[in-house]
Amino acid sequence: MTELKIGQEVELEYGGKAVVEKVIGSGGQGTVYLVEYNGMKWALKWYDIAKIKNPAEFKNNIKKNISDGPPSNKFLWPRYMTKDAADGTFGYLMELKPDSFDSFVDILNTYKLVVDPLTGRAHKEIVRFTDLHAMVTAVINIVNAFRQLHRAGKSYQDLNDGGFFINVDTGAVLVCDCDNIAPDGSNFGIGGKPGYMAPEIVRGLSKPDVQTDKYSLAVVLFKLLFRGDPMEGEKVVKDVCLTEAAELRHYGADALFVYDPDDTSNRPVRGIHDNVIKFWRMYPDYIKDAFIQSFTAGLHDPNKRIIENEWQQLFIRLRSEIIFCTCGRTNFTNMFEMQDRSTYRCPKCGMTFATLQFSNREYLMPLYIGSKFYECEVYPDSDDFLSVAGELVENKLKPGVLGIKNCSERSWKVRMPDGAIYDVAPSKGCPIWKGLEINFGEVTAKLG
Amino acid sequence: MSKNRKEKKGAPAPAEAEVKTSAAENTQPADDLDIFDFDDDPLGATGVSRKSLVIFFLIDTSGSMRGTKMGELNTVMEELIPEIRRVGEADTEVKVAVLTFSTDVKWMYAEPIAIEDFEWARLAASGVTSMGEAFKELSARMSRNSFLNSPSLSFAPVIFLMTDGYPSDDYKEGLDALSKNSWYKFGLKAALGIGSEANDDMLAEFTGSKDTVVHAYSGNQLAQMIKIVAVTASQIGSKSMTLSDQNEAELSDEDVYAAKQKMLGQQIQDLVKQNESDDVSFDTGW
Repeated sequence: MTELKIGQEVELEYGGKAVVEKVIGSGGQGTVYLVEYNGMKWALKWYDIAKIKNPAEFKNNIKKNISDGPPSNKFLWPRYMTKDAADGTFGYLMELKPDSFDSFVDILNTYKLVVDPLTGRAHKEIVRFTDLHAMVTAVINIVNAFRQLHRAGKSYQDLNDGGFFINVDTGAVLVCDCDNIAPDGSNFGIGGKPGYMAPEIVRGLSKPDVQTDKYSLAVVLFKLLFRGDPMEGEKVVKDVCLTEAAELRHYGADALFVYDPDDTSNRPVRGIHDNVIKFWRMYPDYIKDAFIQSFTAGLHDPNKRIIENEWQQLFIRLRSEIIFCTCGRTNFTNMFEMQDRSTYRCPKCGMTFATLQFSNREYLMPLYIGSKFYECEVYPDSDDFLSVAGELVENKLKPGVLGIKNCSERSWKVRMPDGAIYDVAPSKGCPIWKGLEINFGEVTAKLG
Repeated sequence: MSKNRKEKKGAPAPAEAEVKTSAAENTQPADDLDIFDFDDDPLGATGVSRKSLVIFFLIDTSGSMRGTKMGELNTVMEELIPEIRRVGEADTEVKVAVLTFSTDVKWMYAEPIAIEDFEWARLAASGVTSMGEAFKELSARMSRNSFLNSPSLSFAPVIFLMTDGYPSDDYKEGLDALSKNSWYKFGLKAALGIGSEANDDMLAEFTGSKDTVVHAYSGNQLAQMIKIVAVTASQIGSKSMTLSDQNEAELSDEDVYAAKQKMLGQQIQDLVKQNESDDVSFDTGW
């Protein structure tokens, strides 16, 4: 009984029955149904056990995952196991993806197909990040989800573009397809996708683990930022037909990064890889260097791959270097001009941006209404990259006066124009002036 | 945008022709160019370049197909298109081309049509079965200069042949031409024999193996078989080969040769068997 029918009841291990309402999707290992259980809607993944090498082992692993619980709320984690059907088939319930999330594939395609339930006709709807801040936040969230998973001693195993949902307004991320997640080092025989899988798996030399996850993570990040395949350039396109043998070569032993500094034979091709060409010019060097590292030294040496924490630091920096200019131009600071050593200038409209220089880093944070810094950036003991610590705002009682609001729960010490040091309590603020110094405790910041 | 850059940039900029041909441009760091002159919207991306897959349907529209067979076929093909749209991998652009053969050989549309926009034009049956001609025509069109002209990467095409009788022309000559075509060689081939006249051995010559040949004797079966084959073939054809992590040694080209065709044969056979056993349990035991 591989397929379930509409209206069919499926018994759950701890009692109760889920009623099948419709098919949501199908994948390599089975089908996902919308079901009702205890008055709520859930997603039921129902396996085609013929496609699973060792169903008993596979099932035990899911059970273990259910009892361990998700590493964080970023995972659509298995929640309830079903009882086995007469033929041994089984499945599990997980929460449904909220409507506000779009699949990673739709984001890469820049549109989704929406089917009119009445006519059955499909039309395209644009899918795109609302702003750059949301996009970089999504990147940080993806990296952080994998950091949490790996810290829990598990690996995702078949990381690919079908594995994420993203809220394009906020950058919130949900990792789905968590059923292959297994303790690092164990495998239950999963299939994978060349292009996302590390070359050593494509070649049949290794099995998925935390190290191969790191490669797949770099691919996912590259695709999200540069909107193209890191290994698909001139050399690959020359082949025209992507036969099995061609895939084995281009994603396995002969994989070559499109921007390998020492080998230019696989550069992106104008007309096909325009996104990659465009975005490679825009991102700052520290981001490009991390991808070069991942896809050259890290290509065949798993220990040279960028670790999640490093990615996280790089993208937290990238988020702090975004400028939303009043002329409508949004970009990273490296795409702005320097007016002097501490002021950015918009090359389009001439608008200037003062900056904060923090004592714990070399780069500058541009200031404009709405620019924010986060807890992890000013409190070294905090790993919280989502809670805002400070934000540049306009004083509500004195229009036109800009200042930094303390959004954190700790008091700051601030040097004011009279030279004296004042306390700025949580939810209070201080005006900005040239010479402003804020002491957050261990970290200080100076206005340039 | 490259024009603008040209005008503003002085001596260090390469000549126009060089810009076009040299990949070096793409490696130049942003600050070597007039960075603020090109579209610099970090969110302004086009869709990721997708791999493409063309599904060829070769359909016998000879006189013997008239009546229920044609009616059933038209209906199931209409229903099938949205279903293929759903199973195709989202990162692959799937296109459909339909070649009909009776006395003449005809394409439904002048070129392959994206599955999102494809509309089935109902077929009518009359004439004889010029299958050999159809093979020749297919071979001529399965070329980089004709139907398979996507600028980016293509998966090997899916080719699905449906017929209810024996060719009235020299099919061997056509098949010879076809077998020299590498798209055909690497393509995913499947065939459906309709009714008792269709010759499965001949169809296996076309597909290269018996596993990818199925047979339908009733209208109901016809609909079922078309769906099984077309859906399975587009599923497998539209994605990268599936890797298993159960290998003992490094994979070689030979290990993966025709891996998808083998998988197609296996899955079609599994599904056909499943449907047969379903039939039995449905009819008996009352």
